[in-house]
Amino acid sequence: MKLLALGVDHRTAAAPLREALAFEGARLDAGLDALAHTFPGYEFVILSTCNRVEIYAAGDNDGDVDLGSDDLASFLATFHAIPPESLAGRLVGYHDEGAVDHLFSVAASLESLVLGEGQILGQVKQAYEAAQARRTVGPILHAAFQQALRVGKRIREETGMDQGRVSVASVAVDLAREVFDTFDDKTVLVIGAGKMGDLTLQHLKTLNPGRIMVANRGAERAEAAASRWGGTVLPWDRLYQGLIDADLVVSTTASEEPIVTLEQYRRVQRARRNRLALILDIAIPRDFDPRVGELEQVALYNVDDLRAQAESNRARRQKGIDPARAIIERETAACLALLRHRKHAGSVLRQLGDRADAIRVRELDALFATQTELSTEQRQAIEHMSRRLQNQLLHHPRAALRTAAEAAEREHPHTLLNAVRHLFGLAES
Amino acid sequence: MDRLRVLCFAGMYGLALVAELARVVVRAHNRPLATPILTAVGWVVQAAYLARLAWVQQKLPVTTLFESMLVLSWILAGIALYLMLRSPKNAAVGLFALPIALGLLIYAGLDSSTRGSGWSDWRGRVAFWGTVHGVFLLAGAVSTCLAFVAGLMYLAQLNRLKRKQSPARGISLPSLEQSERLNRGAIMFAFPLLTLGLFIGVILALASRGDGGVRLALNDPKVLSGAVMWLVFAALLNARFRPSMRGRRVVVLTMVAFAFLVFAWVGVDLLRLPTGHGGPRVSARGPQDAGRTP
Repeated sequence: MKLLALGVDHRTAAAPLREALAFEGARLDAGLDALAHTFPGYEFVILSTCNRVEIYAAGDNDGDVDLGSDDLASFLATFHAIPPESLAGRLVGYHDEGAVDHLFSVAASLESLVLGEGQILGQVKQAYEAAQARRTVGPILHAAFQQALRVGKRIREETGMDQGRVSVASVAVDLAREVFDTFDDKTVLVIGAGKMGDLTLQHLKTLNPGRIMVANRGAERAEAAASRWGGTVLPWDRLYQGLIDADLVVSTTASEEPIVTLEQYRRVQRARRNRLALILDIAIPRDFDPRVGELEQVALYNVDDLRAQAESNRARRQKGIDPARAIIERETAACLALLRHRKHAGSVLRQLGDRADAIRVRELDALFATQTELSTEQRQAIEHMSRRLQNQLLHHPRAALRTAAEAAEREHPHTLLNAVRHLFGLAES
Repeated sequence: MDRLRVLCFAGMYGLALVAELARVVVRAHNRPLATPILTAVGWVVQAAYLARLAWVQQKLPVTTLFESMLVLSWILAGIALYLMLRSPKNAAVGLFALPIALGLLIYAGLDSSTRGSGWSDWRGRVAFWGTVHGVFLLAGAVSTCLAFVAGLMYLAQLNRLKRKQSPARGISLPSLEQSERLNRGAIMFAFPLLTLGLFIGVILALASRGDGGVRLALNDPKVLSGAVMWLVFAALLNARFRPSMRGRRVVVLTMVAFAFLVFAWVGVDLLRLPTGHGGPRVSARGPQDAGRTP
């Protein structure tokens, strides 16, 4: 059994090379078909995301070609029509146990640019499903990818690596969920149309807020931001009214002085009947008087608070690496054991079938040699009966062997395999 | 035997609470399911026990303090279970609700005085209105407990947000908005129920005076604490329409109301205060003489 993973990621290749090697849309199907055509007898999955392009290959060492890393590297260069030299030193390969370990690490997002990010597990699943659709997945990669999806999910649940966001802008989403329950009835006000506000709004948009307003001193930039995020422009001189209407405020102006004082916001809160408000003041210098955060029903966070939360979440994710590695180590061993047991069981099953067939054919030949008066119909009936008899006799041993191979982790299937070999006089494979 | 049965489902709630506490430190594969499953098992066993009690007595099990506490804890555990299953964030609702259900069961199970006669000896219209009085107050108590639980969750979440602690750390809590809404809704429910319950209680006391029934003085501790609790609820309802009273102040008032509820239900008996409430006896002095319905 052979397992191979070869490709580039954000650490080994710059974005232009990753883009050149990407398998997107129809290119993915074409790539899988080309691999299956070029290396018959092997299984393939292509994982292509913005941060990595990897080919996973597996075979039983009985394919027409002995597949190696160099073959896959040549394939990549040829398929994408790029000079092979451009891949020199960029491709990283993993073999057998290393390939399974790598796949599990990728699924668990240990190899991701942002540790613990949740997108990669879905991308691994999509890659596996795409390969299934092109029929390039066989028993080995099927088992490995199924296990990888389980391992990825398990690591997230047990280590909490997916808990809390790690960028300043995305922390806003976590905070919004701590304050509000529903968002379709909420209004988001963005004060200032800078890059940071844009980034924060990009994350907040995932909450599907009921209304987005953008207020900026320069109307042109406000209009651009509002149209980008499906919001409306709030004239700067109506900022006070906007604060009254808004439940969630993101402030990012470049103002030298606070634009909202304690007294002003106290009046705002009175006007909005003291409803809950979340204010994310990510401007430097700050736009809101820090004492606004002491008001009832108001949660005020400045950029340092958000950064501290992002750092704290990042540190928590780092803590999850060692437990995640331990899980991957165990799961890799279990997966390889399962694959080995399946392979042995498959070999015994084949031998068992071949031996039974040989005996049946031999006995039929002997019978037909002595009973020459039998008609063609009678011979066919006897042959059919012998086949049915053989299948019925072998049904239970076959089922037991398959079950033993699947339960490889709990029971050692070798005992059963050896027993079957011994009972039916099969040779060691 | 009753005590053993009560402690049996109290044990299940206790285990559920331990599982909830374990969430702070342990991250297991099936962690979020442990608390709801244990609570559900305890709840079903308790439901079966209460159903059997009602079947044997041929009336609602709300005629003694013991029964009322059992029903109250059962409803609370049921609501907690519902909230646990509904919470999109796997919020640790059990951490706040289960201790109350557990406390009620432990008190009911361990203090034999809660099994006093209540109005179980009463007959006819008095028995009927006594039951109605008890049911309304019980429903009011459920709402009060719920408002208290929501208030606690609100304060914990508010404290975390004001201290700028990461939501990813520690236990998961419902959003401020959710806790506030639950608190407000429970108060809205509690006030009319308590008002009706207390009103029927007063009428009942006046009506049964002539035939040697309950003699309640205005300074009876149960009457006093009930009246003060009602006033606090009136203030809470009023606060709903006053923007300046939203948030922490409402929660603090809810806690005061809850404290009076606890005092009226168990405090009077625990402190052995003289009360004429709940039984047919003319003069109740101490827990052995008086019925102990709320």
